[in-house]
Amino acid sequence: MGAARRVPQMNQRGSRGRQACLAGIGETRYTKWGGIQDSSEYQLAVEAILAAVSDAGLSVEDVDGLASFAEDRNEATFLAADLGLPELRYASMSWLPGGGGACAAVMNAAMAIETGAAEVVVVYRSLCQGQFRRFGRGPGNPAQPSAPAAAPARPRVPHLRSAKSLLEAHVAFTMPFGMFSPPIAYAMVLRRHMHLFGTTEEQMGQVAVTTRAHAARNPRAVMGARPMTMDDYFESRMVSEPFRLFDCCLESDGACAVVVTTSERAADLARPTVTVLAGAQGAPRGFGHGQYSNASMPDADYASAGARGVAERLWAGAGLGPSDIDVAEIYDHFTGLVLLSLEDFGFCARGEGGPFAASGVLAWPGGSLPMNTHGGSLSEAYIHGLNHVVEGVRQMRGDSTCQVDGAETCLVTSAAGVPTSALVLARGAP
Amino acid sequence: MTERWFPDEMPYPSASAETSGFWEAAADHRLVVQTCDDCGRTRHPPGPVCPSCRSTRAHWAELPGTGSVYTYTVVRQAFIPALSDRIPYIVVAVDLDEANGVRLVSNLVDADHSQVEIGMRVEVAWEDMGPDLSVPRFRPSTVLSVESPTRSPTQSPTVR
Repeated sequence: MGAARRVPQMNQRGSRGRQACLAGIGETRYTKWGGIQDSSEYQLAVEAILAAVSDAGLSVEDVDGLASFAEDRNEATFLAADLGLPELRYASMSWLPGGGGACAAVMNAAMAIETGAAEVVVVYRSLCQGQFRRFGRGPGNPAQPSAPAAAPARPRVPHLRSAKSLLEAHVAFTMPFGMFSPPIAYAMVLRRHMHLFGTTEEQMGQVAVTTRAHAARNPRAVMGARPMTMDDYFESRMVSEPFRLFDCCLESDGACAVVVTTSERAADLARPTVTVLAGAQGAPRGFGHGQYSNASMPDADYASAGARGVAERLWAGAGLGPSDIDVAEIYDHFTGLVLLSLEDFGFCARGEGGPFAASGVLAWPGGSLPMNTHGGSLSEAYIHGLNHVVEGVRQMRGDSTCQVDGAETCLVTSAAGVPTSALVLARGAP
Repeated sequence: MTERWFPDEMPYPSASAETSGFWEAAADHRLVVQTCDDCGRTRHPPGPVCPSCRSTRAHWAELPGTGSVYTYTVVRQAFIPALSDRIPYIVVAVDLDEANGVRLVSNLVDADHSQVEIGMRVEVAWEDMGPDLSVPRFRPSTVLSVESPTRSPTQSPTVR
């Protein structure tokens, strides 16, 4: 807010002083897992892209780039053909996995814009997990009922099989031990954090309850009509201690997209300009896929979001610090990992995430750092965090359902606990 | 036949060129850690190059199979149907003795879920999934109050 903004690093690297802006947002309906059966995941991707382009006041004829992040089934090359892009000039998929890559995909698109490689890049994510089984059928787990009925019976005598990917060889060190899904892996991270710092379940519950209250104002939110009290939180069933069901994000069907273009172009378009002030992505030494596949990282990284380096580069690039941020959209696959992100991005000291969240600062209205004003992945929808970028744009335009008065800066983060990324958005032109 | 703690439907490990040595040793009930021939540092999961000195030469150093619980979770949801009679079960990360900071994700078996705590001493318990496939699980240590001779630097209990 008050801090004088200097020209962001990304812009300094631009070949012609171009500045990336977010000019359009698009969303399909969001439902619970399996709720969308009348459109394919791929059709939803198209729907979200068209909506974002239309929101910007552009035509698909203007689009020359597409970007997403790892584990996307909806390939940009097919989308470019099916959408009829006149010329595909840029297509990228960030290596950062699952929820870690949403902000990186936007950053990559912004770099393409700022280097002049493309003029209008659409970043997209579509998830219809009811159409594709997700949990319990990870790599190295052939025993699941999703195997075709005609598949040969499992051999009676197990033997060591060849891994078909690096990931499969790595999760061989976790899956045979019943670490089937993220709640189990990240429950262990939070248990360590509790041990080191005294973090409590009630502090995690505060994140769930606060963001559910935000969702109540958001007509798109899957859980908007389901209020949650702290008692409700404690009564939800235990999944993997210390995580209850309400510590875990939703599993959703839906898609969203954002349009990245130059500030010059954005100035002539339908919507208020939102500047991508800075972006950063990465992981610390030895982090691998994060705590999901590796427990051998240093203690300081294990019980953390793994985002301190990303945060350092992000703040340097933005010329801002945590105290300059008016509203935050923090990736929330699990309540506890929100606390770790708040620590890594410097809103509080390491180990203080719990008390910080419990102090009420994250609530809209009135909190000093209103967070996940759309309800987040815990209560709006789980679209791998690209919906957090969409909400960041809404805040910078001034039309969120939990609008922070006078908000000029927004931090958006991607998933803690995997190689990750983050953005600082700013209201208006640079 | 040795003891079984988990059902046949548990996923079996699969291995790459880099990781097969671990599982081959496991079949012989030997717990090993990949160790750089040149600088002596350990690494896990195994990989093709030492992340410290970038040597590509490594060997499998045998470990005593003891360690302490670094962190854990008590899993109360059956993510595969075959585990519905087996919950709750305990997943642990074990700080392995003499492994210079390497931790293994595994299970604590032969223990009640209320017993597990960070720092508790454990020892390997092999579960034979088949004649040539065994996985290392851990049980509470049968040796009382023995301090590991080589504590890794990351075991330091204080971070603040």
